[in-house]
Amino acid sequence: MRKTIIGIALLALAVAGLVRAQILGEVTLNAPTGQVTVRSIEQDGVLFVAADTMISAFGGQLVPDPQGYRVTIENQQAVFGADNRFAVVRDELIEMPKPPLIVEGTAFVPLEFFQALAKAVIDSDLAWDAKTRLLLLRSIPREALSAQVSVVDLQGLSKIVIQLSGRTEYTISRRGAVYVIHTKNRLQSSVTERTYEDPLVAHVAVQGQEVTIQLRSADLTGSAYPLDDPFRIVFDVRAGGSGTATGASTATPETREARATGVRTIVLDPGHGGKETGAIGAGGLLEKDATLQICRKAAAELQKRLGMRVFLTRNGDEQVPLDQRSALANQHKADLFLSVHLNASLVRGAKGSETYFLSLEASDDQARKAAEAENAVSASSGPSAGSSDLRMILWDLAQQEYLKESSRFAELIQEEMNSASGVGNRGVKQAPFRVLVGATMPAALVELAFISNPDEEAKFSDDQYQALLVKALVDAVARFKVEYEAKSVSLLGSEP
Amino acid sequence: MISHRHRAALGVVTLLVAGLACQKQKEEAPVSPALVARENKVAPRAVQLYYETDDQLLAPEERAIPLPERDAVALSGLMQAWLAGPADPQRPRPFPSDTVLRGAYLLPNGDAVIDLGGASLVAGWQAGSHEEIMAVYGVVQTLSANLSEVRRVRFLVGGQVIETLGGHLSIDRPFVPRTDLLKR
Repeated sequence: MRKTIIGIALLALAVAGLVRAQILGEVTLNAPTGQVTVRSIEQDGVLFVAADTMISAFGGQLVPDPQGYRVTIENQQAVFGADNRFAVVRDELIEMPKPPLIVEGTAFVPLEFFQALAKAVIDSDLAWDAKTRLLLLRSIPREALSAQVSVVDLQGLSKIVIQLSGRTEYTISRRGAVYVIHTKNRLQSSVTERTYEDPLVAHVAVQGQEVTIQLRSADLTGSAYPLDDPFRIVFDVRAGGSGTATGASTATPETREARATGVRTIVLDPGHGGKETGAIGAGGLLEKDATLQICRKAAAELQKRLGMRVFLTRNGDEQVPLDQRSALANQHKADLFLSVHLNASLVRGAKGSETYFLSLEASDDQARKAAEAENAVSASSGPSAGSSDLRMILWDLAQQEYLKESSRFAELIQEEMNSASGVGNRGVKQAPFRVLVGATMPAALVELAFISNPDEEAKFSDDQYQALLVKALVDAVARFKVEYEAKSVSLLGSEP
Repeated sequence: MISHRHRAALGVVTLLVAGLACQKQKEEAPVSPALVARENKVAPRAVQLYYETDDQLLAPEERAIPLPERDAVALSGLMQAWLAGPADPQRPRPFPSDTVLRGAYLLPNGDAVIDLGGASLVAGWQAGSHEEIMAVYGVVQTLSANLSEVRRVRFLVGGQVIETLGGHLSIDRPFVPRTDLLKR
């Protein structure tokens, strides 16, 4: 009898074990370095795998901290929390189907996290075969990218633009007067090497996964940053500096001003358009219509009075993505970019105009961190533009290089608007406006008036008032042109 | 044959073992957000909700709202309270009135992720830049002033990273508080 009792008890234990086995299981990770057994949990169709074993197989480290877990693989970081569906992989937000589980002190994380991690950090694809319970980790073969190289002499600054047929990551190393940009993809170019007449750049060669840049002297300094649409690696060469390649370019105002030769081309951006009406006035005025009217009139005046080349980002009721607007200005090699808007506020009495230039109050700190990260790694092995935050910072730097001029341009517009509108001075402000990010020239955004205020909206139907505003904008551009060109002449004249 | 007594004893043993197994599973059960919420003591907390004033700057409204102690769990409740708008019903809500909170998450790096929804935001909020700035930084200021773990705020709409909320501010990057927008 006793045997029977023990037998039934053992059976019950086995049943309990089976119940538990449905929760805790195992999968096999088939990695290039070998096979590893990884504990797993399946819950509501979601596969969770043990983070410690996975991260170790990826060649990284998993460190718990008070807020969650931190993953480090080859200087790249990822974080996840115990009760959080969102994780960060190299600063990209990753959404998981369920939050990670903590069982017996081990973090079990949904497979989707490791798939994102594998792709972003170790260039691999992580596939799951439920039948064989195999996780297959395979390197992603990288396509060859076609490369086109151009070198531009901007008087004191030479820009090497390497345009590629797709995105890639890169690192930079230096030996004396030679910089080498190492890309993760193989590069193909119809012109594999070329000698230049440029005062700073002697020779550029494209071969395999490298772009080799021979400078005129070892005293020159290079720095690189990427641009999108199309993807480009821009390599700036300047005299002097520390000689360390960095993605976070910090040009001095003198070198930037030395490149200036005049303000001849302006791109005007009538805010909103198409189904994006922008703000709607109490009397029904649509911001998109009013901004287009003003920009068309301003374009005619700028051509007539200042003889400038003027382009509009839209000349009809079209919806134009914000990034495309600044990209258009870059394509036209514009010397100035002005986005024109009308404002709205929940406060009924809000009135007056205000002018903005790009805010970098958040990204100043980020840029410092990026520069530190770039400088912390050795010139031969460090990652370049890696995380999305870093990419954004570098993209911000496109406009940051012109912040001083953008600030002055905004000041001049605001001064002219104050005297034209006769309302109180709302001043020059900064904000992270999407349309200004990425503009590689002095750029500002003007809010002409508050159409949420019925009085200000009513003024817009008056042609004379519109003419006043147009005159203010053109006067501001004229003043900026004079100041900027005078400064350029003075700098060029003072050169030895 | 097994006697009734023995059967009863076996039944007890079986139940005990199964019960222990279940208990073990229970101990190993995941820490769900609901469980975390239950485990956190919810108590009225004095908070400051930042809204635009007649000076067109942000100023705090003092409120006492029941919130869990942990910032990660309190985030959602605080955000819901802010979305409901100023105490004065005459003053409009900063975001379109049909805006809803789909989710609020606090990441280990101090980024609060606010996932908003609602037909107006999804279709494209037709706002003035000032209106948009006051709404976005109203959230940023409210969360960072009341939750010490919040360092930056990221916005999603419908679970997606989008270009802008109202056609002006770039929201694909995190926001940090700005003192220049606060009423002194």
